[in-house]
Amino acid sequence: MITVWTHHLKMMFFNMLLRNIVRHSVFPVAMQKGTKKDLFLTTPQKPFPCRTLILSPTPKKQFSSNPTEKLDLDGWKNVMKSGMQEEVSETSESEKDSTLAATRELVEMWRLAGVFVPENISEEELKTLMECSTKSSKKKYLKFLACKEKLKKASKAKQEKRREAKMERLEKAKENGTSEMKNTFLLKFWSRSFDKVYNWRTAQAMIFGQPLVFDMAYENYMSRREMENTVNQLMETEGWNRRAVDPFHLHYCNLKVDSPYHKEFVKRYGEAWDNLLVTVTEQSHTDVFPRDKLIYLTADSPNVMKTFEHDKIYIVGSMVDRSIQTGLSLAHAKRLKLTTQRLPLERYLQWEMGAKNLTIDQMIRILLTLKDTGDWMEALKFVPKRKYKAFSDESVYSKYKTNTQSRTKIFEFNGSQERVKNPFASSRNSLQRQKKLVGN
Amino acid sequence: MAFFYVSSFLGLQTLGKYHLFWPAPRFQQLFAIIFRLHNREHVKSFITTSQSAVPVDPNTTHMLSTKTRSERRDGEKREGMARGDTSSPHPFSLFSAGAAKRRSKNQEEPFMISKRNGIQPPEKPLSVEEWEELREEFKAVSKFEYVMLEQMIKYNSSIDVAKSLLSMVATRKGDISYNLLVKYLALCIKQEQLAEVFDVFDIIKLRFKTLEPGAYSLLIKGLSGSDRWREALLLLEEIKKVMTPSKANYGDCIKGALNNQEINLAYELYHEMLAKELIPNLDTLQAFFDTGKCVKDDQLKSELLGILLYLRENQIYPGETLMQSIKLWFESIPGEKWKGYITTITNSGKCPVCNQHLETIHLNEEEYNILKAKIIKDVIQGTDVFRKTTPQELEEFRNFVENHPPYDIVIDGLNVAKVSNRRSESQTLLDVVSHLAQKNLRLLVLGRKHMLTGSPNWKRPIVAATQKKADFFFAENVSEDDPFLLYATLHSGNHCKFLTRDLLRDHKACLPDNLTRHLFFKWQRGHQMVLSHYWPGKRIKFQPIPTYDTVVQTTGDTWHIPYDEQLVERYSYEVPTKWLCLQRK
Repeated sequence: MITVWTHHLKMMFFNMLLRNIVRHSVFPVAMQKGTKKDLFLTTPQKPFPCRTLILSPTPKKQFSSNPTEKLDLDGWKNVMKSGMQEEVSETSESEKDSTLAATRELVEMWRLAGVFVPENISEEELKTLMECSTKSSKKKYLKFLACKEKLKKASKAKQEKRREAKMERLEKAKENGTSEMKNTFLLKFWSRSFDKVYNWRTAQAMIFGQPLVFDMAYENYMSRREMENTVNQLMETEGWNRRAVDPFHLHYCNLKVDSPYHKEFVKRYGEAWDNLLVTVTEQSHTDVFPRDKLIYLTADSPNVMKTFEHDKIYIVGSMVDRSIQTGLSLAHAKRLKLTTQRLPLERYLQWEMGAKNLTIDQMIRILLTLKDTGDWMEALKFVPKRKYKAFSDESVYSKYKTNTQSRTKIFEFNGSQERVKNPFASSRNSLQRQKKLVGN
Repeated sequence: MAFFYVSSFLGLQTLGKYHLFWPAPRFQQLFAIIFRLHNREHVKSFITTSQSAVPVDPNTTHMLSTKTRSERRDGEKREGMARGDTSSPHPFSLFSAGAAKRRSKNQEEPFMISKRNGIQPPEKPLSVEEWEELREEFKAVSKFEYVMLEQMIKYNSSIDVAKSLLSMVATRKGDISYNLLVKYLALCIKQEQLAEVFDVFDIIKLRFKTLEPGAYSLLIKGLSGSDRWREALLLLEEIKKVMTPSKANYGDCIKGALNNQEINLAYELYHEMLAKELIPNLDTLQAFFDTGKCVKDDQLKSELLGILLYLRENQIYPGETLMQSIKLWFESIPGEKWKGYITTITNSGKCPVCNQHLETIHLNEEEYNILKAKIIKDVIQGTDVFRKTTPQELEEFRNFVENHPPYDIVIDGLNVAKVSNRRSESQTLLDVVSHLAQKNLRLLVLGRKHMLTGSPNWKRPIVAATQKKADFFFAENVSEDDPFLLYATLHSGNHCKFLTRDLLRDHKACLPDNLTRHLFFKWQRGHQMVLSHYWPGKRIKFQPIPTYDTVVQTTGDTWHIPYDEQLVERYSYEVPTKWLCLQRK
């Protein structure tokens, strides 16, 4: 080994080769020796010959009085210095822009430093990265990309595995000589036929069914990514609705043509967008439906929803707010003077943590279940489990009921402005009543 | 205020349940962590800790960590009252430095035990085999070497130990990865091992074409204190290629330049970082004052006075060490006989040392109008009037204020009512209103409509009695009342005060720029009354309102500089109470 290392120092151009030697020969030898001497390892201070594995180039240090110098402490520096310069960036021809290249290098170095970054990064993503103004926003964006990449990879791997398994099965079937089709007395249901049934139901709902409005007026309150998430949720929503026993007639109101929202829909759905069984309109819901039928569902509403009403039209604000924007949808409802309601979450659930706003797909599943069964317990199972501990039991529920009766009275939204005109009218009344009481 | 509203109609109901169920899982969780941690080490130690963990009363954990907000309110109030009685040296005051810390002292989170804390670095350098053994022991920890280096930084182990670890890595893999090198560099810099820093710098430079900001920052920090400080400047340029360097990066470079008497270069860097809207660290500023000591240079002097004005404009308060440096610098200016004293200012705003009155906290006409316009535009109307109120209601309120003579005090009725839990809300409000009405003040009370419905908390006769003594405006139950409070106070003129315990931070955050936020805070300090003592039926006392502005100020022959004491943790909505008074004899 000593010869190996002196060679190593003398002939620097054998670097790569020697690194291999270090990797492949020194380590196992060291380990072997280590295991052999295992029995003697009673005092950790006791020096072993194998400790001076790497010889220091400065012999002066070797003989210093310091006992720790028996261990070579600076040898690793030579190992490092002898290494080649790492080729971290493969700057492609298209990246003439020096800042773009610098950003790519930054990503590579961050990877080495242990920051969670994606393996491949496109030029477009790199430009977005450059626009992130702070270090933490850059890191967050990279983390987002890395997570996305990881998920994609995992699903690809899964797909591949499934395909292989199928191939293997077919292969086996061939070997066994049973290459014929599987014989069964059951009629095969093609997914095409499923789709037909679903579409038929949805189409029926579009003629006779109960409308459900998604208010798309919140475009300006969301960031690009939040808007994309909303579209994602709406796609899922449409899927749940389509597969329901008794679907809603979905309305996407206030969706302006060629707005980013619309473009995102077209991009995500592709050609299916034109065949989607959903009413899309630029009009506001108040123009489409009679005002007294409309009920705006918002978590900020003071009124609790008691029962699901089949003749009313519920409105759900389609918005994703990662930083909670309190009162935004309530403000919209207030402006249009619509009735507002919130789900009776406190009444049925022992709330644990988290905000009481729900995602759009959770909302549609709750509403669909309510419509089908009228059972709150069943419907509120779609509230994420982490947010509540358990369902309230009946005794608590009845106690709550007596309490809420007086409360709902207090917190009724006062639609008429009459009382506002004269804020003291009622207090004056109470004064008079008080006087009467005193008189009696 | 908003909090009270919520708690009154859904919070209280859930509070009880929260109390009952919360501590149990929390306790289990803690236990689970302890279990996991010690299970990995030795069975023996696990048993002992489990024994010691069992007697822990769930109630104590509960006391420590699960205070709900309303409980906290009570605690804070009780503390305030008790303090008033024993006349402790720290009177309860909303805006004085350290008040918030004191209020929250009794509810600090228990120390969390993480998996990584279980690893302790060895005390002496180990051989490769010994390291391998240790590695085997901590098989469960991925990235063993990295975690170990982190722990070494935490425990400040000798760098020889770290070197021996790196030797092990080099033997194992024939190479040391970048992140380990950077961690080692951090350890060297922490212990100021300059020779090692140079070595690692040379290695990194040799092996990597560019670095990432973390390593650059470490290297800048390490190099700027040495004679190779000029290389730190080059690294700063490297960072600029990809992002704005941090204020610490600039600070290190400036210190490097100042240490080597390159004062012009230091000022160049200083102005460059100000142009990038970075707020320099206080120790960077201190370096300027330390270098300026005993130097007769008019340009330097004007630059240093410029720093003081910068502190004034941005409401930055120096810490105790910077204050000392400033004091020493002033006293060292040749030819000018400055003398500095440490003092506290009385409520009247008079400096007890030089008998000079400090700047008033009241805004001038122009500032007042700017603030008023901004508050109406950004706080009340905001992006959408409907989020806090409705246009009709706002108009209604404007008319209401217009048709009444200016008020002396505007009261946030629901906030005041919740001050005590011993008395009903309406009775509390009545007490406070009558106390103020005795002084012949014109009062406006803001409330919400639910106060009129005759609920147990708001009995009709009491509300009616209160209404005789003050004007009332009831907002919708779904509206916010704080914006009305601000509007009414601003509209009534500069003499009008408002009464609430709310810190109004959410409204301050609505303001668009720093300047207006500073104006708002200044106005708030000068106009906000806070109920400090309330003994039902006996005593009602308000916290004194300062008459002077807490900001760096000068008259030419004197300087008054408020500073943060070393041991007092000041929150962003508080101002220091200690001052440095400098005067020229």
